[in-house]
Amino acid sequence: MNDTQTKGQLASARSSDVMIEIADMNKWYDQFHVLKNINLTVHTGERLVICGPSGSGKSTLIRCINALEEHQEGDIIVDGIRLGKNLKNLDHIRTEVGMVFQNFNLFPHLTILENLTMGPIWVRKKSKADAIETAMMYLERVKIPEQADKYPGQLSGGQQQRVAIARSLCMRPKIMLFDEPTSALDPEMIKEVLDVMVDLADTGMTMIVVTHEMGFAKTIADEAIFMAEGDIVERNNPVAFFDHPEHERTRQFLSQIL
Amino acid sequence: MAIINANQTPARAAPISETSILGWLHKNLFSSAFNALLTFFMLYIIYQTVSGVLTWGLFNATFVAENRRECFDNSLTGACWAGVIDWFDNIFYGRYPREEIWRIDFGGLLLALWMAPMWIPRVKGKILVGVSVVTFYPFLAGYLFSGGDKGIFMQVMVAGAIVAFAINMANVVTGLTKNMALNAFLVQMLGQSKSSGKTRRNILLLLATVAFVVAFVWQMGWNVEGVSWTKWGGLFLTMVISGIGIASALPGGILLALGRRSKLPIIRVLSTGFIEVFRSVPLITVLFMATTMFPLFMPEGVVLNKPVQVIIAVVLFNACYMAETVRAGLQAIPKGQAEGAHTIGLGYWGAMGLIIMPQALKHMIPNIVGSFIGLLKDTTLVSIIGLFDLLGMLTSISKDVPWLGLHKEPLIFGAILFFILCFAMSKYSRHLEVKLSSDHKG
Repeated sequence: MNDTQTKGQLASARSSDVMIEIADMNKWYDQFHVLKNINLTVHTGERLVICGPSGSGKSTLIRCINALEEHQEGDIIVDGIRLGKNLKNLDHIRTEVGMVFQNFNLFPHLTILENLTMGPIWVRKKSKADAIETAMMYLERVKIPEQADKYPGQLSGGQQQRVAIARSLCMRPKIMLFDEPTSALDPEMIKEVLDVMVDLADTGMTMIVVTHEMGFAKTIADEAIFMAEGDIVERNNPVAFFDHPEHERTRQFLSQIL
Repeated sequence: MAIINANQTPARAAPISETSILGWLHKNLFSSAFNALLTFFMLYIIYQTVSGVLTWGLFNATFVAENRRECFDNSLTGACWAGVIDWFDNIFYGRYPREEIWRIDFGGLLLALWMAPMWIPRVKGKILVGVSVVTFYPFLAGYLFSGGDKGIFMQVMVAGAIVAFAINMANVVTGLTKNMALNAFLVQMLGQSKSSGKTRRNILLLLATVAFVVAFVWQMGWNVEGVSWTKWGGLFLTMVISGIGIASALPGGILLALGRRSKLPIIRVLSTGFIEVFRSVPLITVLFMATTMFPLFMPEGVVLNKPVQVIIAVVLFNACYMAETVRAGLQAIPKGQAEGAHTIGLGYWGAMGLIIMPQALKHMIPNIVGSFIGLLKDTTLVSIIGLFDLLGMLTSISKDVPWLGLHKEPLIFGAILFFILCFAMSKYSRHLEVKLSSDHKG
């Protein structure tokens, strides 16, 4: 427990610069108030885990951070850029923020290598050779370089999710968002994906992870957040969060997923 | 105690009823007395039909005759193909001047050569081939077919077409012999492979400009005689109308479909309105409107000739149908694909062009080709508004004095021609489907 606490303090000490700042943010789907007055600050290199029941707004929150969803009130400032309707900001933000989805969202009509080089070539305007080199490097890092010429449909779920992580990393993002990355996987594949994410955390990447994988959260997270019905209910260091939740709703929820 | 089968069971050959022809016959045709009876009955019907058709169309038919009377003299129970053969030139080229027919053949040959690289696996830059065909070929062909004076715009486009065609052919040669694209080959030839991308691009641009100037000067020297559109007809006219229709309906349909799904209300309402109006009206109405109403809207002095009016009508009409096909294909692609594309920084057009549209088009191939086949057959409607397309030509054989009343044979011949064209398209689409699906899945 002490160990994790020091880690948390270290993280905030080494990087006082703010990577993501969310202030008084509100979002509605038509009449439905999904996110209520969210205030959240994430520093460079910090790792944040978000849990909560389905429909609590946790996915919506991280989708707002790379502008896949629009918020109606308040501010979201990512890497010094305020998200708004300005299209130019939008494209810039998305190149700095990588995202990994529950359903991978790989491009089924392209090979693994083409999936990885698409962004660097078309968005970052890299040469094909450079892009392939980077892609192979990241495929090595997620431990599946031998799958480069296959199509996503030929890979297992765990492999696909690792490819999805590599695809985001190829853009060399400053922030990585994970939206329940292991929820659609068979139990024996969860570990291989989590291992990759732990490796990534060790490199000092700023990460926000929506997950209920407690062991993983305790290992890497600097902070854990519990959301319910659009509110951030509890926020604490992960060990305390999972072992001694303070809020009644958190306790109730955690007892259900254990 | 566990039960263990220590001996591996050896594989045996399948029973004879599964493999031999007799087995197949027994299983599929003679499995019961009633089925055997049915089989014989059907065989009898098939024999009657085929032998009847062959006797009339081949054995008793007349292939050489001066007029219909001679056909009757030769055989009363056979087909009179002589009339169709006598009209071959009209059927294929309409009333195009006989000594100028080479221009149509040449135009067709150019198109075939130009498109051929798309089917040669080793040739690089297939997308450029496609784009160059669509951009330049229509102008070159347009000039070739109608001739007359070239305006300055036409001169530029014709010269552009010549350069594009030459580049394309050179690219095929380097692709086949050196297995590399033309630009890479040129850069290597000039010893510039080490220079920066910008220098290389400038060198290639310079070469293209020189080629363009040469082509421009060269094409000023030649001119072909003008041929009025009233002389266009037959299969040639059918191919022109349906070719342009097919080439523009898909891009038009894609734009309209994107418009209909747009977030911008004005674009969405306009596209939807346009699509619904054209889809709710029969093609023949659109054709009549095009030929009688368009001229009213045109500024004074501008006269569109009839084929152009018809082509505009066919393109608009089919683009609207295509738009709905494309929209259906787009809706089949999960939302996650667009989101995945956005997260790697691709904007709307990048996500659409690189991720969503390629997948959607693959799903849509059967429907798209279905529309193309429909379009080809629908062009026969133009014979109603006084153009002599393939069908128009075929029906006028019966009004030609020597062949008065010869209806059956020309129409059967037309049916065979259409069947060949449509069946080829259908087969090709099937081939594309199989190829694309085997590419993407294991």
